[in-house]
Amino acid sequence: MNAAGTNMNCEQYREAIAADPSESFDGGALHSAECSSCTAYKAEMQALDVRISAALEIDVPELTMPELPSISDGERVVDLASRRPIRWTTPAWVGLAASVVLATVIGVRFINTGEDYGTLAEQVIAHLDYEPQALTVTDVAVSDDRLYSVVKPAIATLDRDLGLISYAMSCRINGREVPHLVVQGEQGPVTILLMPHEMIDMAIQLDGQSIEGVILPVGEGSIAIIGNRGEPIDQLRTRVTENVKWSI
Amino acid sequence: MNSSNTDLQRRQRFDRLVSVWHQDMYRYAVWLSRDPAIAEDVVQEAMLRAWKSLHALREDEAAKQWVLTIVRRENARYFERKRLETVDIDNLTQSQSAMLAESSDTDLDDVREAIYRLDDDYREPLVLQVLMGHSTKEIAEMMDIKPGAVLTRLHRARLKLKEEVGEGAAL
Repeated sequence: MNAAGTNMNCEQYREAIAADPSESFDGGALHSAECSSCTAYKAEMQALDVRISAALEIDVPELTMPELPSISDGERVVDLASRRPIRWTTPAWVGLAASVVLATVIGVRFINTGEDYGTLAEQVIAHLDYEPQALTVTDVAVSDDRLYSVVKPAIATLDRDLGLISYAMSCRINGREVPHLVVQGEQGPVTILLMPHEMIDMAIQLDGQSIEGVILPVGEGSIAIIGNRGEPIDQLRTRVTENVKWSI
Repeated sequence: MNSSNTDLQRRQRFDRLVSVWHQDMYRYAVWLSRDPAIAEDVVQEAMLRAWKSLHALREDEAAKQWVLTIVRRENARYFERKRLETVDIDNLTQSQSAMLAESSDTDLDDVREAIYRLDDDYREPLVLQVLMGHSTKEIAEMMDIKPGAVLTRLHRARLKLKEEVGEGAAL
């Protein structure tokens, strides 16, 4: 307790009133009622706030609304046109279904999609080609240190409930840092790209001959999930959206 | 449901939740960018972003906070793209000068210029609190900092302004 009979001393009160001249903080009214110099300080701050408020009120010109594009209902589908196979890799000691994966051929075709979506989907798929070493069938998880150095707190928070995360790398899509993860799925490695800056208005289905996936709108970013055909992507998309939260 | 009905419903929701904040978006963008011309560009982009991602707005009550967050990000994107340097108060563009010379009230102009000169970190929470009426918690969420940091910045911003513009004219 202080001289004014509250838990707040004058210094604390003055800091608080300068941050919030409405005095809505706990103990503020009690302190100022008992302390005349702080009451005077409050009046000073409130007078300053009147001037600040007036100064911030600038004239607003006649604003024009941009032309808003038509957005059709439902999800957009991006078919993936012919492109070279992704080279899935596996250590020799892992006797899993790598042969299925090695036979992968992706056909690529963009239909029914705006340029932005095509570009993003194309970049996502191209990135899989760029890092084929990520697509290893394994039962070895990356370390927490590795995982959380890639999924930095400043980008997103992530629980390990996603599944066995076997790969984590900081990559770039559209010049932005993107955590690239691989989770071991039922049909082989599943790529997950966390793209906090790539806002899309609806989910983009990725539909290839041997792979399937989706780019999901999540908040003001998006998350790509791509696995082998037959991978239960719907289950994964639920797990991913529940386990990843943007910090940006 | 056909796409024109969907668009109509979307447009109605957009008008109700986003368009109503058009002027506030502009004011916020002006004080973020410190340039009315840039603010207009930023708000246009923010409107388009909001339109495209309207489905992501889960709670109607949070619409204002949501659109201002979009303005904030668009402003950051704009400056990232343009790689603009810090504004030099002695070397303002026509648009920037006009913003500071809006009134015939000298005291108002002095306070406006002092706010203009504040560091971004201090100016932004002040605008969100005084002009936009947001709580400390909301400002913390929008700026992605802790509530304590918001209070510290607000406290410092006001002390800085008090130091620069004194007690001003009698009210």
